[in-house]
Amino acid sequence: MEQFNKKWLQRISSEPDPPKNIDRRTFLIRSGMALGSGALMGLLPLSCVRQATTEERKNFPKPGVATEYRHSICNHCSVGCGVIAEVQNGVWTGQEPDYDSPINLGAHCPKGASVRDHGFGYKRVKFPMKLENGAWKRLSWQQAIDQVGDRLLKIREESGPDAVFWCGSSKASNEGAYLQGKFAAFWGTNNVDNQARICHSTTVYGVSSTFGYGAMTNSYNDMHNCKAMLFLGSNAAEAHPVAMQHILRGKENGAKMIVVDPRFTRTAAHADIYARLRSGTDIPFLYGLLWHIFKNGWEDKEFIARRVWDMEDIRKEAEHWPPDVVENVTGVPKDKVYEIAKTMAQNRPSTVVWCMGVTQHHIGTSNTRLFCILQLALGNIGMSGGGANIFRGHDNVQGATDVGPNCHTLSCYYGLAEGAWQHWARVWDVDYEWLKSRFDMSQQYDGGGGKMDYTMNIPGIPVSRWIDGVLEDKANLSQRDNIRAVFFQGHAANSQTRGVEMKKALEKLDMLVISDPYPTHMSVMSDRKNDTYLLPTCTQFETCGSATASNRSLQWREKVIEPIYESKPDHVILYLLAKKLGFANEMFKNIKVTNDEPLIEDVLREINRGAWTIGYTGQSPERLKLHAKHRRTFNTTTLKAEGGPCNGEYYGLPWPCWGTPEMKHPGTPILYDPSKSVAEGGLVFRAAWGTDRNGQNLLAEGVYSKGSEIKTGYPEFTDALLKKMGWWDDLTPAEKKEAEGRNWKTDLSGGIQRVAIKHGCAPFGNGKARCQVWEYPDPIPIHREPLYTPRFDLVKKYPTFQDRKAFYRLPTRYESIQSVNHAIKYPLVFTSGRLVEYEGGGADTRSNRWLAKLRPEMFAEINPKDANDAGIFNGQYIWLEGAEGGRIKVRAMVTPRVGPGTVWTPFHFGGWFQGKDLYDKYPEGTAPYVRGEACNTATTYGYDAVTQMQETKATLCRITPA
Amino acid sequence: MARMKFLCDAERCINCNACVTACNNEHDVPWGINRRHVITLKDGESGEKSVSVACMHCTDAPCAAVCPVDCFYTTPDGIVLHDKDLCIGCGYCFYACPFGAPQFPEQGVFAARSKMDKCTFCAGGPLPDNSVEEYQKYGRNRIAEGKLPLCAEMCATKALLGGDGNIVSEIYIQRVTKRGGRPEAWGWETAYNFKSKKE
Amino acid sequence: MNHISYILMVCALLMGPAACSYESRQTTVHEPGVYKGAKDPLLAQQKQQELIDRFKLVQTDR
Repeated sequence: MEQFNKKWLQRISSEPDPPKNIDRRTFLIRSGMALGSGALMGLLPLSCVRQATTEERKNFPKPGVATEYRHSICNHCSVGCGVIAEVQNGVWTGQEPDYDSPINLGAHCPKGASVRDHGFGYKRVKFPMKLENGAWKRLSWQQAIDQVGDRLLKIREESGPDAVFWCGSSKASNEGAYLQGKFAAFWGTNNVDNQARICHSTTVYGVSSTFGYGAMTNSYNDMHNCKAMLFLGSNAAEAHPVAMQHILRGKENGAKMIVVDPRFTRTAAHADIYARLRSGTDIPFLYGLLWHIFKNGWEDKEFIARRVWDMEDIRKEAEHWPPDVVENVTGVPKDKVYEIAKTMAQNRPSTVVWCMGVTQHHIGTSNTRLFCILQLALGNIGMSGGGANIFRGHDNVQGATDVGPNCHTLSCYYGLAEGAWQHWARVWDVDYEWLKSRFDMSQQYDGGGGKMDYTMNIPGIPVSRWIDGVLEDKANLSQRDNIRAVFFQGHAANSQTRGVEMKKALEKLDMLVISDPYPTHMSVMSDRKNDTYLLPTCTQFETCGSATASNRSLQWREKVIEPIYESKPDHVILYLLAKKLGFANEMFKNIKVTNDEPLIEDVLREINRGAWTIGYTGQSPERLKLHAKHRRTFNTTTLKAEGGPCNGEYYGLPWPCWGTPEMKHPGTPILYDPSKSVAEGGLVFRAAWGTDRNGQNLLAEGVYSKGSEIKTGYPEFTDALLKKMGWWDDLTPAEKKEAEGRNWKTDLSGGIQRVAIKHGCAPFGNGKARCQVWEYPDPIPIHREPLYTPRFDLVKKYPTFQDRKAFYRLPTRYESIQSVNHAIKYPLVFTSGRLVEYEGGGADTRSNRWLAKLRPEMFAEINPKDANDAGIFNGQYIWLEGAEGGRIKVRAMVTPRVGPGTVWTPFHFGGWFQGKDLYDKYPEGTAPYVRGEACNTATTYGYDAVTQMQETKATLCRITPA
Repeated sequence: MARMKFLCDAERCINCNACVTACNNEHDVPWGINRRHVITLKDGESGEKSVSVACMHCTDAPCAAVCPVDCFYTTPDGIVLHDKDLCIGCGYCFYACPFGAPQFPEQGVFAARSKMDKCTFCAGGPLPDNSVEEYQKYGRNRIAEGKLPLCAEMCATKALLGGDGNIVSEIYIQRVTKRGGRPEAWGWETAYNFKSKKE
Repeated sequence: MNHISYILMVCALLMGPAACSYESRQTTVHEPGVYKGAKDPLLAQQKQQELIDRFKLVQTDR
């Protein structure tokens, strides 16, 4: 097969050009693999087709053999589609639609429809391996753990615990992700992160600092109730295909669908209104909408007066964005902006949807905040049909954000201050002083702005910047030494920018460990010859656990098949390594371990015991399993169970699911919705920023959730507030003992939450949403041109930030990059996005036969004008050179889908580097069926000023024929 | 009598290829062929529309009409199937088919056409239902299990419907009425309202 | 030649030219015949209601 594939790739490079005016898929079909009409096969070379091998044919269903049905959740995006697997004698022989699931109603996208291929796993890493003098050598698990562990201990000895970067995954279950974070804490570093950093970190910060929680407010299903929906930087038809079922049902119910995007996406094809926007100008566009809203008095004045703080400053900023200016900066015609503003205002409740088109910018946090502010102005938050429907990326990126490995906070947004560590030390049942001793306490470093701290309290190096942790002069780092080893468990490196520098960083590392089902692009992209380890790791179908969908619902996955080959699940690998490194007893103190496997249910119970901030406390394994079993009883619009054993509860107990599991809170289907009582899933805005600011009241005024005994705003609940209200004696004696001196976030008995809810109050208080976030670099969101902007003329008026010395332990550049006019040499905007067939870095989906069949080559979409200007014709190879010199060789796809001046590529490809197929570098039999250039080889510098989100959506490039 | 039909609602089809993948998964269709395709018109432009196409199981199937070895038969509920043991791979059916459904996997070093392969409406072929032999020649027989084609059952947006024609029409008309558009049941005139010249 | 044979021959003579003057509107040259393959056991099964129920369970919007 490899030989075939390799030859095939070589062969297509000399194929004639496909005819014009054909669609994207036909283009790819004709340029490579024949999946078109079988009758045309005779015209194509023999190598295009092969028969399935006997091995591949053996997994089919056998008559007369008992079939078991196992229920899991698709591991490819955040919609959370149910998967039914047919298993015979432990072999995954068939897949059935999970029509009982209220989320997907049996539907799948091609990724979901192909998950059975994971049970074949031809291209998987089959046993532990090590790179020795440039050749892959098989190891036993014992050898691998010993060698990796010894090296880690040596590095720790020489350079301290911060010299290792631990990358966890939002493809892990909640339990796996939680253990990844906990593992780093017990190792003694905050240098741990996951995909959420480069996915929606700007959303989490931007939205939580506005409303209180940084998550999707409503649900996919609730979009049945929208009257208008605005998609900006979201291509749901390719990124969240099954969500389109609910979106199109909403549209059929009469909702107006608006898509604003630099590309005419497959989602735009279904829109009532489409507008093309220049990449990186979301803020001017949104102010353009607000300008019309304020001018016409369309804002919800009562909502703003009672529930929003400081809309006045937004109104002032919006005055700077009259229609002419907006059109000049964004490229969206004036009348379109007006039409969209009018549609959103006159068809309420209206919702907004955004994804990485909005988040992946160096002003991403401001982008997401202004989106929230638009919804506040329209009074669309906290109601069915409205909300900020933020579609997350990976299947468990919401969960990994919440409970998992993050460099800026401990599990569940507790932060990194001493109080946070003490809270988790109590939950973990370990001595806080012991935990401290695990960290580098030898000296303090610049935690940002000259504030000195120990590394335990300074955010770690984020995954977007780990390469700078390796390459930067160590004198400039806020830690003892450079990163010398990285451990990547379930993360594709080709999803991070600046591939050329990543290669250098990889080559400088002492050790690289990749724990993944497939050998990722990372294992082959550098010229490393030694000390690279591949640990075969299970997919989520070979283990059990919970995953949190974008709508905050937790779903339980059953184990479908036993781990294939020699692979082991995340939690087992972490246990083995913890044992080797000497902290397994402390780390798994309250988690049952059998044959080196920690009990997943116990891990979730531990999360339940500690996750009070966001209400991950009520979702016990038993309740989640009950929901899975009776999923047919949940309404497909409201997600509320109608009868049955889960009657009145919401599917998957969307967080916050307050209190203990015994309290039976039903989950919160729509955030900040005061029309229901808190006990029934209602909520108000969180009072997370105090009670007043410069003499202005930050608490809600005259608004409260149904049944609240306090008929106006109130601060968050503490023992003192309970006593003041005279509710202290509602606590049981045991609760009183635990709650004394604590608040709703740190009371491990759950008593404070229980009593607050008993009186109809939200444990986190009842505050106003805020438009001004005084602790951020831009308290009011303002536009700043991308670092690599095609409109250098606008830089003076909309400049970026000043360079920063210590930000997440690293110097971070802004102004020094933007001050040069890069557009002279690189005139085209370069942006990226998703294809429906692949996911993330694509290592697993490109290794999936059924998906690889559909999408055999990497390509770049180029407008006919730009193609003609560059002398490029459809289907030929081109060099796309990013503004920092990284070059990728890809097929040209000439199409009006992108506007003139913009080049778009998908980001799922890997296995090529600057024109070279890296096939020979893969361990034998593991190269993905489809390989291609990683677009991020050509992407550039640029990081969000709050979260270090990477800028991938607005940079520059030039194109030449290859 | 029930009459099995496929309908692809172009207003709902998002060109995701879940139908194609579900088919590949269910029947383990070899590389090089797909029994179902998604066709996109005006790709990347305003007015872009996609429909998923496979054998429509026509009322008076042109493939059967031209087959020189008479290997086609129609089940009482309208599913058009064929016997691969009789098929000689001549390809006439491909030219007769208005939907491009028949597929010919290549076999052998001379790239000779082999037996025709096409969508079976997940109803297998003329061999014992869900036997290993039937699976290897025709794929899984879901109809015999009381289930409908997996492509339709797994469609991401329920754009592709496959089942009794009356219920399919009913659902489609409901949607069209709700949307206030004109029904455009793609391919139905060709596939199901074909007036036989012999009548 | 008996009586019946004579009538048949006359009929044949009369019908011959008529058949020749009829211009076929068939687009295909081949005249379809009767299916000659193996018998499909599926044809003996009565699945109608089961399939209708299945459709409502799986493919409707619910």
